[in-house]
Amino acid sequence: MASNVSRRDFLKGGGLAGITIAGVASLGVGSVLGTEEACAATATMTEFVYTCPVCGQHTSDYDALVKHFDGTHPGAAVPQAVALTINGTTFMAQVEPQWTLRETLLYAVGLTGNAKQMCDRGACGSCSVLIDGVPALSCSVLAVECEGRQIETSEGIAADPAYRPLFESYVKHDASQCGYCTPGHLTVAKYILTKYGDPSADQIRAELAGNICRCGTYSRHVAAIQEAAASLKGGN
Amino acid sequence: MRNFSHVDAASAKEASSNASKSSALFIAGGTDLLGTLKDEILPSYPEKVINLKTIGGMDGIRDEGGAVLIGALAKISALAESDLAIAHATALAQACEKVASPTIRNMATIGGNICQMHRCWYFRVPDNRFACRRKGGNYCPARIGDNRYHSIYGEQDGCYAASSHDTAPALIALGATISTTKRKLAAEDFFVINGIRSNALEADEVVTEISVPKAAKSAFQKFALRKSIDFPLVNCAAARLGDDSVCIALGGVYPSPVRIQAAEAAVAGGITEASAQSAADAAVAECRPLPKSGYKVEIARALVKRTLMELK
Repeated sequence: MASNVSRRDFLKGGGLAGITIAGVASLGVGSVLGTEEACAATATMTEFVYTCPVCGQHTSDYDALVKHFDGTHPGAAVPQAVALTINGTTFMAQVEPQWTLRETLLYAVGLTGNAKQMCDRGACGSCSVLIDGVPALSCSVLAVECEGRQIETSEGIAADPAYRPLFESYVKHDASQCGYCTPGHLTVAKYILTKYGDPSADQIRAELAGNICRCGTYSRHVAAIQEAAASLKGGN
Repeated sequence: MRNFSHVDAASAKEASSNASKSSALFIAGGTDLLGTLKDEILPSYPEKVINLKTIGGMDGIRDEGGAVLIGALAKISALAESDLAIAHATALAQACEKVASPTIRNMATIGGNICQMHRCWYFRVPDNRFACRRKGGNYCPARIGDNRYHSIYGEQDGCYAASSHDTAPALIALGATISTTKRKLAAEDFFVINGIRSNALEADEVVTEISVPKAAKSAFQKFALRKSIDFPLVNCAAARLGDDSVCIALGGVYPSPVRIQAAEAAVAGGITEASAQSAADAAVAECRPLPKSGYKVEIARALVKRTLMELK
């Protein structure tokens, strides 16, 4: 591991190794967040280590993992190696077939914004991410089905300077109270801004209909998104 | 969720033959299936989940002379916005617009919507705790339990659940035909209770296409407790067919969506305020609601009248 990895990244990495991905994943997390130190660390990324989820044995390539399953754990479903493109960066992740995208974002990639567990049944919209530019519920998509698709989370939108006005108007209008649903709202807000440009209040309400906010901040989302649309249009 | 193996299918035939080899379930949009697997509501857990989304060319919506042909993988949102569906299968487009939330409509498919399992809360209780009629048991917990969201037309095979598809009454009213890998079924024959399923499909049968005959005019109404993301308490679709007859179907009132022929007869001579009212009364005349589901009778009555008035 590179020497300039921060303590926080190191701790995250340690946790990841125990779950499925060794070492390299923590470097990937940093690069999604766009920090300079993590970008430097990404350059040192060389190999991907597969970890058997049943007994914890490490293997260096996927074929060896499959062989290990055939020999040691016959009958168990073999994890799949999936290349996930998240916020423009492609990650290798070792994913079990039953993992949802939400679980994968949280446990294997370390993105905590949209991936918090809320209802986990597709009823609240807090886990909304953009898949190929369209909002989808990460709790109701299997990660193995996301290979080759562009996944965008609130972290990616936050790191994009073009969408700074959206976040600023959310802060200005105090459009998040407890903040649990906010990442889901923000990803759908980006979709609304790209789809309509200058959305009306009714369009915003219709598109946000699937995002539940228990604090009841609904009217402020409309105001915040409309103000963001105005300043995005003004080239701010 | 517990472990399963995940297989991508290249064609509907391949998916079907793959499913016949071991216990398997199909996944398209996944919005219904993943919830059932997370809660482990089913008596058995699949060894295999077969992904249908990788099948090419099954998501189109196209004009085929007298009918609108809809691929089973067409997204609910695509149908709601399709000019073809809005013009010739209005009730279906309106129904799709009312399904769940915009995000779910972007993910869910029409094939998955008609294959979703019932939302009865005894059937859906986590960890498969009630051996109800649908799971091979000999009683319906809703019969004596809390049945406020259940059938008002009595039982079907001992089950008092209420159908929860928004698109089903629209497909029945429009006289749609559903093609599977094995056969073609009229929508009316498709939606029947069949073990854990809400449709006549066999375990290895895949819906491939839905053919909806063009209707001059059709309409859909839904009543739910919440405006967004809610299953219907009652929904109703009506269509004026080619021979000027009217077809009316109700959902959320019986384990399968029902066609109401008594109401159709009442408006055979034309739709007026008075004939729509007598059709609505005829539609609920045979109702036998459960102790707590009586209020749904009045909702059904109102929806039948409202839907018919839209056809005027």
